[in-house]
Amino acid sequence: MSTSNSTALNKVEKKFALPVGLRDAGTLLGLVVIVVVFSILSPNFLTEQNVLNILQQSSINACVALGMTLVIISGGIDLSVGPIAAISAVAVAVLMAAGVPIALAIPIALCFGMAAGGINGALVTFGGLQPFIVTLGTLSLYRAISLIYTGGNPIFGIPPAFRALTNSTIFGVPNPVVIVAVLAAIIWVVLNKTPLGEYFLAVGGNQEASRIAGVPVTRTKIASYVISGGLAAVAGLILVGRLGAADPTLGNLWELDAIAAAAIGGASLMGGKGSIVGTLLGAIILGSLRNGLTLMNVQAFYQLLATGLIILVAMLIDRATRGRE
Amino acid sequence: MTNVVVDRLKLTGIGKSFGTLRALDGVEMSVRPGTVHGLLGENGAGKSTLLNILSGVFAPSSGHIEIDGVRVAGHGPKAARRAGIAMIHQELQHVPELSVAQNMFLGRPLIAGGVFVARRLQEQAAADALAPLDRSIDPSAPIRTLKVAQRQIVEIARAMMEDAKVLAMDEPTSSLTPAEFERLAILIADLAAKGVSVIYVSHKMDEVFRVCETATILRDGRKVADVIMKDTTESAVIARMVGRELAVAGHQSFVQGDIVLEVEGLTRATAVRDASLTLHRGEVLGISGLVGAGRTELLRLIAGVDQPDAGEIRVRGRRLPLGNPRTAIAAGLGLLPEERKREGIVARRPVSSNIALPSMRRFSRFGFMNRRAVARESLALMTDLNLRPLSIERPIGQFSGGNQQKAIIGRWIAAGAQILLFDEPTRGIDVGAKAEIYALIEKLASEGRSMIVVSSELPEILRVSDRVLVMREGRIAGVLERDEMSEEAIVALAVPQSAPRAASISRS
Repeated sequence: MSTSNSTALNKVEKKFALPVGLRDAGTLLGLVVIVVVFSILSPNFLTEQNVLNILQQSSINACVALGMTLVIISGGIDLSVGPIAAISAVAVAVLMAAGVPIALAIPIALCFGMAAGGINGALVTFGGLQPFIVTLGTLSLYRAISLIYTGGNPIFGIPPAFRALTNSTIFGVPNPVVIVAVLAAIIWVVLNKTPLGEYFLAVGGNQEASRIAGVPVTRTKIASYVISGGLAAVAGLILVGRLGAADPTLGNLWELDAIAAAAIGGASLMGGKGSIVGTLLGAIILGSLRNGLTLMNVQAFYQLLATGLIILVAMLIDRATRGRE
Repeated sequence: MTNVVVDRLKLTGIGKSFGTLRALDGVEMSVRPGTVHGLLGENGAGKSTLLNILSGVFAPSSGHIEIDGVRVAGHGPKAARRAGIAMIHQELQHVPELSVAQNMFLGRPLIAGGVFVARRLQEQAAADALAPLDRSIDPSAPIRTLKVAQRQIVEIARAMMEDAKVLAMDEPTSSLTPAEFERLAILIADLAAKGVSVIYVSHKMDEVFRVCETATILRDGRKVADVIMKDTTESAVIARMVGRELAVAGHQSFVQGDIVLEVEGLTRATAVRDASLTLHRGEVLGISGLVGAGRTELLRLIAGVDQPDAGEIRVRGRRLPLGNPRTAIAAGLGLLPEERKREGIVARRPVSSNIALPSMRRFSRFGFMNRRAVARESLALMTDLNLRPLSIERPIGQFSGGNQQKAIIGRWIAAGAQILLFDEPTRGIDVGAKAEIYALIEKLASEGRSMIVVSSELPEILRVSDRVLVMREGRIAGVLERDEMSEEAIVALAVPQSAPRAASISRS
C-alpha cells in the first residue's frame, strides 16, 4: 500500500509541476524572442550593464505587479496602486524631513500603503462594491490626498542614507532589483505554500463555493488589497530614493503597467489564475521592450504602440494555445 | 360524419434522449380546440422536456407535432411560434427596466419609417391586447413595477396578440395568491371559450381539477394515462403519477439513540417557515417535497450559508451561531450543494486542493501548507471513495459529475464533519455513480455520521432514508417513519391540496 501510494505520489508530483510551468515557459519564450530580436537590432542591448539597467527599470513595475497579481488572482483589481505609492512616498519624505529616523520612517510609510489597501479591501467586502469601481474611486481620492497635502509640490531633502539604500548595489546588482527579487520570493511562497495562497486561488476561482467550503472570504480579499497597497508603497519608496524627491504625482498610470505585466504573465482577470514567475517575466518583457526601443532611438509614440501590440499579441497567443478550456 | 373535430394539438410518438438518458419515450397526446388540458407527473417525469419540445427549445429525437392537422414545419422557438404555440414559463422572462409594451414586442418591434421603433403604436397595440384581460395595466409602465400576477397577464396578452392557438403554462400559480389564482382560472376559461387550447402544468391537484377538463399523466418519460377530470379523483391521479411499488429493499439502518442536531423554528422570509427537526447519530433523514418547497433553503440555513430571520440550531446540545459557514463547519457540519459547479467545486483547482479547502488549518504547520500531508490524505480518500482517475493534481473541473461529488464528500470527511447535508446528491450523475453514492451514504451512517439528504427523486429518498421529512410551501408538512414511507404518502404530504385527501393518507 505504502509503496504503491508513494509511486503514485511521485507520478502526480511530476505531473503537477507541468500546467503552471508550461504557461511560464511560454512567457519566458516570449521574453527570449524579444531579447534575441533586440540584440540583433542593437549591439548594445545584450551587455551586462544594459541587462542590469533593464532589470532596474522593470523592478518598480514588477513590485507593483506582484501585488496586483494577488488581487487579480483573488478575483479583484487594484487601480489605485499609483496614488498609494505617491501617498507612501510623500509620507516617507515628510517624516524624514521632520527628523524621524529612516528605520522608523520606512515602516510607517509602508503602513500608510497597507492601510490604503485595507480601505480598498473593506469597501469591496463590507461595502459590497465592485473592485473596479472602488479602486477607481480611491485612485482619485488617494491622489487628491497627496496633492492637497503637498500643495502639488515635490518634497526634497531626502537624506543621503535613504538614497544610498536604492542607489547602491549588492555584488553588482542594483539594490531595487535585489529588494524586488526577495519580495517576489516571499510572495511566491505565500501563493504556493501557505493557506492564504490557496484561499486567494479558491476565492478567485469560485467565491461562493469557497464560502460554503469555509474559506474566510472577507479576510482573504482584504489581505490581497493590503499586500497590494504595501507593495505599491515599496515601489513608491524605491522611486523616491532613485529621484531624491517625493513627487505627489508619481505613479501615474502604474496600475496599467502592473495589470499588463500580470496579464502577460498568465493572470486571468476573471480570477483564480495567475503566476508570480509569469508576472516577473511579464514586467521584464515590458521593460526590455521599452529599453530596446529607446536604444534604437524609436520615438516614444511608437514605444506606446509597441507596448499595446505586445499586450494584445501575448493575450491572443495565450488564448489560442489554451484552446479548448 | 360531418362534424369530426380535428385535434388542435396532436403529439405523435414524441421521444427525447440526452446522451444515454431517455427523457421521453413515445409520448402521444391530443388536445381539442378550446380545451384546458393538464400535463401531470412527478419531478423528472418529463413534463419540462415535453414543454420545451412543444415550444421549440428542444428538437424531439423522434415523433412530430401537429397543429390543426398540419405538421409543424422546422424546429426552434420561431417555428413553434409561427405554428401558433405560445409558452408562459414558470420563471417569467422579462427585461425589468423596459415598459410593458416594449416587453410585449421584444425581438420583433413595430417599425415606423424603416428605422424607428413605433413606440406609440406598440403601446396602442399592447393596450388593445391587454384590454379584455386587465384594464389596470399601463402599457408604458416599466415591467418591474408590475406584480407577478400582472406580468403573467402581460404574457397571456402577448400570446393572444400573436394569435396563439395553443398556450402552454408551466406552473403558472407557483407565486400567486389564492385570489390571483381565481382570476387566472377565469381568464383561462375565457381563453378556452375563444377556442384557444391551454396546456396547464401544475403540481397542485386542486387547481388542476378546477381548471382542466382533461389531462395527460407522465411517468418516467412515458405517458401512463389520459384522464377526464370529472371521471376521476385526486387520489387516483396521484396513484397514476407515482405508479410502481418501488423496491425499498437493501436499506440498512444505523440509527443510534443520541440526538446530534436540533433545529427549532428556523425561518427565512417565506422560503422556510418555522422549520424544526431533530437528527440522531447515524441517522439518514430524507427531505422530500416539490421544487420550491424550501428544501434547499432549509439546508443552506442549517449549513450557515444563509442567515435565518429566526430560529435556533443546536449541535450536540450546543447552540450554533447562525449564518456563518465557518462556525457550522467547526461544529462538524458540511454541505454538499445542489449546484455543484456554482457552489461546490473550484473547477480550476486540483482535486486535492478542493478536498483540503476547509481543513487548511489542520494541513498547515507554522503557517505553511503541508502539501505532502494534503497529497497523502487526498490520495487515501480518493482510493477509499473509488474516485477516478486517481490523479490528485488534476483540476476537479475535468472529472465527471459523480467523481466531483465524491470529492466534495471526501472534503467533508477530511474536515471531520459528523453531520453531512446532501442537496440532490445524485443530480446529473449516471446510474452507476448513483449506486456508489447510496452505498457511500450507508457507509458513512455505519461510521456514526448523520446525514440529511434532500432529493427530488422519491425512489432515492425511499432508498436511503431512515425517516422522511416532507416540506410544503416552506413548512414541514409531516414526518414519515420508515414503516410509513411510500411514494403515495410522501406525495400526499408534498402536494398542496384540498382537505378530503387527508383520509387517504391515513389509510396507507
